[in-house]
This record gives sequence, C-alpha cells and structure tokens, in this order.
Amino acid sequence: MAFAVSPRSTVIYPTCKYSSPPSKPYSRCGFSISCCSIDLQSTSLASNISRRCELVDLHEELVSYRKAWDLQKAIVKEKKVLIETNQEFPDTVIVLQHHPVFTLGTGSSVQYLNFNVQNSPYDVIRTERGGEVTYHGPGQLVMYPILNLRNHKMDLHWYLRALEEVVIRVLSSAFTIKASRLQKHTGVWVEDQKLAAIGIRVSNWITYHGLALNVAMDLSPFQRIIPCGIRDRGVGSIRSILEKDQAFNNSTRNEMCNADDSLLVDFAHRSLIQEFSEVFQLNLEPRLFYSSSSTDKE
Amino acid sequence: MALRMWASSTANALGVSCKTKAQFLPAFSLSRCFSSVLDGLRYANSHEWVKHDGPVAIIGITDHAQDHLGEVVFVDLPEVGGLVSKGGSFGAVESVKASSDVNSPISGEVVEVNSKLTEVPGLINSSPYEDGWMIKIKPSDPSELQTLMGPTEYTKFCEEEDTAH
Repeated sequence: MAFAVSPRSTVIYPTCKYSSPPSKPYSRCGFSISCCSIDLQSTSLASNISRRCELVDLHEELVSYRKAWDLQKAIVKEKKVLIETNQEFPDTVIVLQHHPVFTLGTGSSVQYLNFNVQNSPYDVIRTERGGEVTYHGPGQLVMYPILNLRNHKMDLHWYLRALEEVVIRVLSSAFTIKASRLQKHTGVWVEDQKLAAIGIRVSNWITYHGLALNVAMDLSPFQRIIPCGIRDRGVGSIRSILEKDQAFNNSTRNEMCNADDSLLVDFAHRSLIQEFSEVFQLNLEPRLFYSSSSTDKE
Repeated sequence: MALRMWASSTANALGVSCKTKAQFLPAFSLSRCFSSVLDGLRYANSHEWVKHDGPVAIIGITDHAQDHLGEVVFVDLPEVGGLVSKGGSFGAVESVKASSDVNSPISGEVVEVNSKLTEVPGLINSSPYEDGWMIKIKPSDPSELQTLMGPTEYTKFCEEEDTAH
C-alpha cells in the first residue's frame, strides 16, 4: 500500500511570486509555463522544472464522468505496466469540466445525500477515491493529476497539501482571494466556504482522481447534499466570493466580476495550469491523443 | 513507552517476541522509533505483513504503515471466495481523503475477511497485527512466503525508505 514515508512535518512551499494579478488577464496564452506577465527574476523554480507531464486539456468541454474515470484508469494501468518493465514515463494531468453529477468515495455514506438515490436529480456514482459526497458540474474546473509519487514525494499527506497549495496560489495570484487550509478538513477554504474539494486514490504510488475548483457555477446542487460530510460549513465559488466583495475597491477584481462565466473559467484554468506546473515542478506538454471524441459527451 | 507496552502485549498474544527500534532519533520521528516489527511474520515492501498459521495465512498492514497513514476512516475488503495474487491489490484503506490500495504479499483464496473493520476501521491503527488483521487466505503457493522480508530486513527497509524521503 502507499502512504506517507516521511514525517508529516510542514513542507515549506515557495511563497507566491505575484503581488497582483497578471496585467493582461484576458489575453490568451499557450500551454507553456512561461505564461504572460511572469517576473522571470522571481521564478527561481522555473529553471529547475525539468520533469515532463502530459496535459490532457479538456477544460472547454463538458465530459462524461464515467468516460473521464475510464480514461484515468486506463492511464494508471498504462503507467503501472511501464513501472513493472522499469521504463520511465511522464506524469499526466487531465483538466476538464463535468456534466452535473454527484460522486461518492469508497467509504461515503448515503446519509449525506438529502434525497433518495432512486430519485436523484443527477447521476450518483460511487468511486474508489477517498472523501465523502461531492458535486461536479459546469463552471467547475476539475483536475486529475496522474502522478508517479516516486518521482515527487512518497507521502500522501504531502500530496494533498500540495494540491491545496496549487489552488491557494491560483486564488491568490489570479483573483487576489485569500484562501486557506482547515485542519482536519482537506480542501481549500475562504472563511467558512469551501471553494475546492479534494479526493484521491493511490495505487502503487500512482495517483488519480484529484481536485475540483468552483469557478463560476450554479451552486444550488450542493444544497442537495452535505458536501464532504461537513454539516456546519458552506460551499462557494470564485464568482460568489468576488461578487460578495464587489465593494472592495479593486478595479481588476471588479473587471473580473463583470466578466462572463466562460472567461472566468478560462482565466482560472490558465492560472491552475501555471500553479500546478510550479508546485509540482513539471513541464506541461499538451497530449493530443486523448481528444474529445474519446470522452463522449452525454 | 505506551506503544512499546502495547507491542509487547500484542507480541505475547501472538506468541512472538517483539523487537522495537532502540535508537536515538530526532523528536519529529518519535513515532517511527516506536513502530513495532514482529518476529514470526513476513513483510512485503509495500508494508503488508503475513502470518502463516497452519492452513491459512493472515494478512494486514504493518504498524509502520498505519502510523504513516494516520487515522483510518474506511477499509475496503474483498469478498470471501475471491482470489488474490502476490503483489496484487485486494482492497484499500482510506485516511484523510486519500484511499490507498492494499496489496496481498502472497497468492491464494480469501477464506475470511475481518468484518469488524467495517464498523471500527480504527482497529488498523490501534492493533495492526492483532484485531486490525484484514484478510485470511488459503495460500496457493506457500513458497512465496520465502520471497518476503523477515523482521530484521523489513526494519532496515523502513529505515532506508524513511531516510530516502
């Protein structure tokens, strides 16, 4: 089995290099980690980034949960074969959005569903990830890193903290939203609202499943469940936090508030790729093999 | 100290002698200092143990494993009658939003699973070698036990793994 093999001491991540969001938030840029407005002097990590990671970027599509799940399992199986034959291989990360769906972890309790499963408004799928029930839907960015932790840190606690770090940096650097961790409640929080949920599975040190960041979405499905089994806290999105703080005298944030959902998702996506690349020290290369046709829309 | 006493009583119950690491380690690794490794068991490098007890072999995860995992909140076990193969996954343990495969050190047929773990998954933490056993199998090839590590080798393996990471 896979678990932490180092003391669960706090890993100090490099501090965020941005003091304000990139100057041209809506300009498009490619998958290269040298995205717009980076201060190269402060990106001491960039010169050390050398390990390859395939990026399967489906973030502009709504992908069937089952198809994405099958894709992950196929990639994990592929990597396990390569491990057995002592071959090197890059990591993979999938980024996408899902059609509306509720998912449960291996040990999830149906008591956290506020409806009868037979009369569910959306599909309810039990998976092999950790964590309790959650909702995925349009306007939420989902990231499934399929990493060989032997090349990173064979420590599940570190990995969970690293995923949280990615999102905390996205919220800070791209949206000037101060987010944090909550002890005993894995995920990323802004005050008492969870903006990103995390649940993973590890098989022979290969990770899959991952994180879901609420960007600009209909949050009402979360009211049909007790998200992650936590009763006394809520769920938010980047949009809801920005609108709540609209009185905040920041022209960039006000501009973001007025942007439509797809622009906000696009902007969040670029930051997510950037921060993921930095936290995990990976060079992302688009993998075009997995096209949208292999992840049929529902 | 409490862990040493627990390990000792567990060892007595299993009829084996108990070895603990008697070395000075920095305070942050205090938990590793007291992880117990028992005589009479064989160990896989994925941190499962197996005890050959007559016609069956009992399998669980080691004290070292449960310590690093943290609180186990859910255990996924196979069906009785299913087959497991050496190195193959037979279930999972979940802690803190992370669900990890548990692999079988040897091949065989599952004859019993520890249903107590459904209600009290924390038994894996409190009693990894006794009440926290996970499955019992009828080994299909007992010679596979010889490919596993003994307690001394496993202790060294854990130390090297921890040092490397």
